Amino acid sequence: MSRLTEIEGLIARSALGDRAAFGALYDATSAKLFGICLRVLDNRAEAEDALQEIYVKVWHNAGRYEVNGLSPMTWLITIARNHAIDRLRTRRRNESRHGGGMEAVAQLADAAPGPEAHAVAASENARIESCLTELESDRAGAVRGAYLAGESYAELAERYGVPLNTMRTWLRRSLIRLKECLTR
Amino acid sequence: MTGAQDHNEDDTARAAEHVLGLLEGAELAQAERRLETDAEYRALHAMWAEDLAGLTDEIAPVAPPARIRRMIEARLFGAERKSLLRRLGLWPALGAAALAAGTYAMVTGLDLLRPEPVGPGLRAEIAAEDRSLVVLVAYDPAEPEALRVLRPSGEATPGRSLELWLIAGEAAPVSLGLLPEDREGRVTLPEDLRPLLPQAVLAVSDEPAGGSPAAGPTGPVLAAGPVTTL
Repeated sequence: MSRLTEIEGLIARSALGDRAAFGALYDATSAKLFGICLRVLDNRAEAEDALQEIYVKVWHNAGRYEVNGLSPMTWLITIARNHAIDRLRTRRRNESRHGGGMEAVAQLADAAPGPEAHAVAASENARIESCLTELESDRAGAVRGAYLAGESYAELAERYGVPLNTMRTWLRRSLIRLKECLTR
Repeated sequence: MTGAQDHNEDDTARAAEHVLGLLEGAELAQAERRLETDAEYRALHAMWAEDLAGLTDEIAPVAPPARIRRMIEARLFGAERKSLLRRLGLWPALGAAALAAGTYAMVTGLDLLRPEPVGPGLRAEIAAEDRSLVVLVAYDPAEPEALRVLRPSGEATPGRSLELWLIAGEAAPVSLGLLPEDREGRVTLPEDLRPLLPQAVLAVSDEPAGGSPAAGPTGPVLAAGPVTTL
């Protein structure tokens, strides 16, 4: 049984209240999701809290997995990423109230994967990394910033020193070019 | 002129913005609606979710500490886990009348999955003598930054607000902010006030919209009740 089918089966059994299946799902996927929490939040304690919340959500929403049309890992990754981003945005709002904090966020988002990571990505099916290299590096950085650091248009505009509408226009154009590459 | 191609490109970009979390306000609401009703848009959205999830491929897995799994399981399946509401005895307080009045959905909507308290929980019933206003407050040490507030009966008169106060001993009342307009919600509990809570009395006053303009309550105190340990 392939890994994907296996995970799909574990989600389906979790939806039926099978605790052992949920435990197996956790064992098979938690390291990946914890890695994502650590990357997005850059804070171990917060990443641990986030991971708990994420699996509580997974348990309660397992029944809805079938209808969303996503592959099982994407479904899990999306839940993890969205939850981590929500926390990060809340933290950033609190920090900006007390000044500072934005630079660290921008640096985190800018960190493109190194060559070693590229090899890992290529071995899976992430065409997105290679397609991002076809974009200007700042535009690729903006896509990463939005996905991995939850940056808003306003924050991206500030980071790149362009008006909000310019930011929107060029990111939208970049996304359309990205899609052309991804469907090639 | 807008051709089919432009329309597609527009949706392509919109679905990507949606997945990235760049949409706000009316745009976000509209995109959420389309996700429910528009199969083509839903497919675009799913495609972007798949593609963008690829950005996490380069993130190395990190095994979480073993206790995290135990904590999740305790939270979800813990043998002695009782819903906070049950532990607080809020069910009897609500009673059949409240259920008939449609508060049932509101109550079950409460998040019953809080972590087990790390210390004793606290509760208070702030009730007017004629019970025209009843506010139940719960403090869960696992979530020390907020008080959970349930208001089975009573509401602010139009154009006025209900404000929650903490009174510790002989000290002047300290505002905890406005009661949530919804019947259930949370009120932030500042860290410096937490130690005062176990011996405090909580009170609700009627104030101008937005809350008391002064340091203390300006309107009548409608209800009060002591904080008790569970």
